[in-house]
Amino acid sequence: MSTPLIGVSNSILKIKELINHVANTCLNVLITGETGVGKEVVAHNLYAESPRAQNSFVKINCAALPETLLESELYGYEKGAFTGAHKKRHGKFLTADQGVLFLDEIGDMPLTLQSKMLHVLQSGEFSPLGSDQDFKTDVWVIAATNQNLEERIQNKSFREDLYYRLNIIKIDIPPLRKRKEDIPALIEYYFRLYRSEYPTGHGIKPDADTLAKLTAYHWPGNVRQLQNCIKKQMVLNDWGKILEELPEDPEAAPRVSRENDTQNSDALFPNEANSERMKIISEFVDLSTSSEKLFEDISLKKIKKLASDKVEKEVITFVLDKVGWNRSRAAKILKVSYKTLLYKMSEFDVHPPMK
Amino acid sequence: MAPPKRLLIVDDNEDILSTFYEFFNSLGYEVKTAVDGFAALKVLRDKPDYFDCLITDLVMPNISGVGLIAIVKKEYPDLKIIAMTGYGDQPGALASEAEADLVLFKPIDLFKIEAKVSELIGQNDE
Repeated sequence: MSTPLIGVSNSILKIKELINHVANTCLNVLITGETGVGKEVVAHNLYAESPRAQNSFVKINCAALPETLLESELYGYEKGAFTGAHKKRHGKFLTADQGVLFLDEIGDMPLTLQSKMLHVLQSGEFSPLGSDQDFKTDVWVIAATNQNLEERIQNKSFREDLYYRLNIIKIDIPPLRKRKEDIPALIEYYFRLYRSEYPTGHGIKPDADTLAKLTAYHWPGNVRQLQNCIKKQMVLNDWGKILEELPEDPEAAPRVSRENDTQNSDALFPNEANSERMKIISEFVDLSTSSEKLFEDISLKKIKKLASDKVEKEVITFVLDKVGWNRSRAAKILKVSYKTLLYKMSEFDVHPPMK
Repeated sequence: MAPPKRLLIVDDNEDILSTFYEFFNSLGYEVKTAVDGFAALKVLRDKPDYFDCLITDLVMPNISGVGLIAIVKKEYPDLKIIAMTGYGDQPGALASEAEADLVLFKPIDLFKIEAKVSELIGQNDE
């Protein structure tokens, strides 16, 4: 199942058209854009429209693995190639044969592996670690990065020759704040999707006023951040709170700093600021004891546990309440195992209300 | 009189495009221009077999010159292709690999490139 590319902006329409024109060429593609803009969605759309759609789509994140592990994941190894290589293992270049190899975060690939990658792209051949046999592979390489590779070439941390070999076709996805007209369409799409995934979600769609606020927001985390907001709304059903919790826009600095100023002037009355602080602390520490005893009691680790328990208990109760105390559904929403949920319920003494 | 030879010139630098356009136009060529590989591909797919020669820059947004050459050589093998690139650029090697008929390094002498064009298209006629 692949996510369609959602949007009505010129840049998205142009990307769709470009995908349409180049998916059958299977030429190397470099997808660039900020984190969360949907680089993998574009890669998947290229794959789905290509003659390789029936073969495999293999993804590897070049930033997530340490160098040696990344190398063995890409090329595979023979039995006994290194300590712990108890049996032969195929690399992604082999499993992606005839299909697509999606190299995510290519900008984070170490230099030594970049030269090896270049060799495979030039010759279509590679050899697994510890093997003297060369394998021929036919993979369509689609790479993605949120880094400025031209800059990385300048400071010698990315190979220029590899860059040009990957950059045969370049798809740059603009950040969401530069294509605000896509926001309503994205909200509509993900609302429908999550509603089918969580049929018990009670969240209502944004009204005109909320939609205007959501569209005006700068979305530093792009589509992924917007998705998370909609998921949150499914559970919380409180747009006011969700909007309030969005990180502020640093671009809007002048206005924000004025707000900060007023906050600072509030801080001139230490009692007020202090009382708020003491109120929070008093929830977890007994403030009525002597200061000596108090300091003995305060431990960040202990307080962290108390604070997170308190919040977890509330969230668990809230979600259980929303799903009619269906524990397996609640576990799914909270993204914990059923067992973990039962354990936490008994630990926090959470019980269904008496009927 | 033979119909004018048709050229498609692709460069993301508008100044270069207009210079080439004026120059080849004044020599009796029919010239069309495109600002990147994608625009050029659309022109070509719209009018297959219309052009005699493609002159393209290599480093461009969306479809690079190298990508354009690879696609064109596969879909329209008879179209002659001249690639232009900055001296010492990596893409020159890739353009040759993609089987451009000729790779020229910038700065480019217009009279020299015209001589190459007529040479390539002339071969095509024989």
